[in-house]
Amino acid sequence: MVEPAYTVTSDSETTGEEKSSTFPEIAIGIDIGTSQCSVAVWNGSQVELLKNTRNQKIMKSYVTFKDNIPSGGVSSQLSHEDEMLSGATIFNMKRLIGRVDTDPVVHACKNLPFLVQTLDIGVRPFIAALVNNMWRSTTPEEVLAIFLVELRAMAEAQLKRRIRNVVLTVPVSFSRFQLTRIERACAMAGLHVLRLMPEPTAVALLYGQQQQQTSHENMGSGTEKIALIFSMGAGYCDVAVTATAGGVSQIKALAGSTIGGEDLLQNMMHHLLPNSENLFKNHGVKEIKQMGLLRVATQDAIRQLSSQTIVQVDVDLGDGLKICKAVNREEFEEVNRKVFEKCESLIIQCLQDAKVEVEEVNDVIIVGGCSYIPRVKNLVTNVCKGKELYKGMNPLEAAVCGAAVEGAIASGVNDPFGNLDLLTIQATPLAIGIRADGNKFVPVIPRDTTMPARKELVFTTTHDNQTEALILVYEGEGEKAEENHLLGYFKIMGIPAAPKGVPEINVCMDIDAANVLRVLAGVVMPGSRQPAIPVMEVRMPTVDDGHGWCAEALNRTYGATLDLVTLQKKA
Amino acid sequence: MAPALNLAAGGIPLSFSSSVDRSASFPRRSSVRAVAAEAVDTQRPAASLYEVLRVERDASPTEIKSAYRSLAKLYHPDAAVQRSPETDGDGDFIQLRNAYETLSDPSARAMYDRTLAAAHGGRHRRFSTSLSRNHSSAFYTTRRWETDQCW
Repeated sequence: MVEPAYTVTSDSETTGEEKSSTFPEIAIGIDIGTSQCSVAVWNGSQVELLKNTRNQKIMKSYVTFKDNIPSGGVSSQLSHEDEMLSGATIFNMKRLIGRVDTDPVVHACKNLPFLVQTLDIGVRPFIAALVNNMWRSTTPEEVLAIFLVELRAMAEAQLKRRIRNVVLTVPVSFSRFQLTRIERACAMAGLHVLRLMPEPTAVALLYGQQQQQTSHENMGSGTEKIALIFSMGAGYCDVAVTATAGGVSQIKALAGSTIGGEDLLQNMMHHLLPNSENLFKNHGVKEIKQMGLLRVATQDAIRQLSSQTIVQVDVDLGDGLKICKAVNREEFEEVNRKVFEKCESLIIQCLQDAKVEVEEVNDVIIVGGCSYIPRVKNLVTNVCKGKELYKGMNPLEAAVCGAAVEGAIASGVNDPFGNLDLLTIQATPLAIGIRADGNKFVPVIPRDTTMPARKELVFTTTHDNQTEALILVYEGEGEKAEENHLLGYFKIMGIPAAPKGVPEINVCMDIDAANVLRVLAGVVMPGSRQPAIPVMEVRMPTVDDGHGWCAEALNRTYGATLDLVTLQKKA
Repeated sequence: MAPALNLAAGGIPLSFSSSVDRSASFPRRSSVRAVAAEAVDTQRPAASLYEVLRVERDASPTEIKSAYRSLAKLYHPDAAVQRSPETDGDGDFIQLRNAYETLSDPSARAMYDRTLAAAHGGRHRRFSTSLSRNHSSAFYTTRRWETDQCW
């Protein structure tokens, strides 16, 4: 096996003009979407999107392994779109990263030309690319790192300085485990992550800046404005409600789900060729080609349906398999009814969580590639009672511009004109808690808690003379513990022997402004002022790969012997 | 007992500091102070929620919201303005946010106003010992942040 020819980590010297050490190195903003990506930077007075050598601001998110040397969509250009679907190219990496093989999203990716295999036991899936007629294994982190190396090289060439610090956008529904995978991929690419920003939060920051500039121009008093931000790309749908005044944007609520353009595409492919899953499951060379042809044809049809009401699909898959079908917009919308209903429920849930009535919303902002779909625009407009959509943003660039602004702010840039006199007060997208009260998920930090956050709950033992407790930290919204993501675990040992219900076990969770989660746990006996044992502080997540399997193994090994229950506050 | 406490207080910050993974070019105070070390720290007297937000007792909801935003720009760790060394990176904003949440909810504010009027230093705490709070004595001779929170 030939050794990989690329170098993932780079320590090259700074090229171009020397920069004074007294100036901060401005972090760049990166928006790697499931299908497209872009890079932006604050250039001193405004956000500038960087272009690659083909003068493209928006590039495709993929890495191809043909010719044995991997190259990404930043610098390389596939000769045909079909080549993306030859099995040698890995895409949808953002959908695969940090997921276990029991995840339905991973199973949906088995319909893609590259190889995705699952054992369905809660470990990471197997992923491979077809290179010179061999399946060569890789991981989503590696693919993402290769892609980031190219992005970094492009940015360094354009800005003529070394790039190290970045702000990346992430989906709202990403778990903390997935965030650690993103950070790991960035580290492999030699990048340091200053912030991982939920995509609608980045848009909220851009909106806040625009309101601030408008306020300056109008000599306004900075009246509070409430915006609903809906973001739907190829892989994820995110919603946020933000209140903005005087340059301060408070995220009131966030909601997100793993639905996007890819689901619309898969549903349409299945509609056009109902038996496609069985047909393609062998992943032979012929099947891969057929899969690719069907995918390209379906993609074209969906795009045309944004501007036409009916489209003809004509594709010859070979082996006498032909599709010749007229598809109209109503058909497309009916096939994807569940996806659109889910989008609508996210908006409603987000407004409810924010305790905001639709009538109170001043601006409705739609961003992301799916914002061009008429049904998506309609459903957002309908929920918002026909309110006109905000026109001040480019849907494909808003998130990366917001990330670039955050990069400048987090880098400590001081703008004399006040364009960076901004603050985005973020909120937690998911609840974080522990397993207690039997098998329940007990949130310590609820969803939409303002960050930084520090909250605690008190628990107690479930058995007489119980001297140990197992703290299982989960993240999510399910009522039972295993419906959520296991972040980590640790044992509290040395609890003084006492009847059950007597020791007070204090579990404190702290999220700092950089979104780092720490769990602190201590034991205090009633009447005592000092902790009975040293306080434990654990940075989460601690679980590496296989967290699905890990949760099951922990439950099988320990059962309920080390359980805790919530301590009811005394009157 | 005292030597053990000193050892614990001395050791934890060191081990904690090494776990902070931040670039030297972005100096920040530790966002989480070790709880045991914090337990033996001398904590400054905490103000009432109105003093935290720097508003009058009869401030309107708009004034409270405006004060919250102005102070957030000073105390939020992401704020662009230069922070003073005495500022706790996260804790001050958390206090600010807690004060805002209580005072911006009319019913919570009314309850708080009643407890504030009734509060006096001698009351015994009824809730469990807090990991992230100073509890140097079982009784409070002066009003403290946590006292205001609990009553």
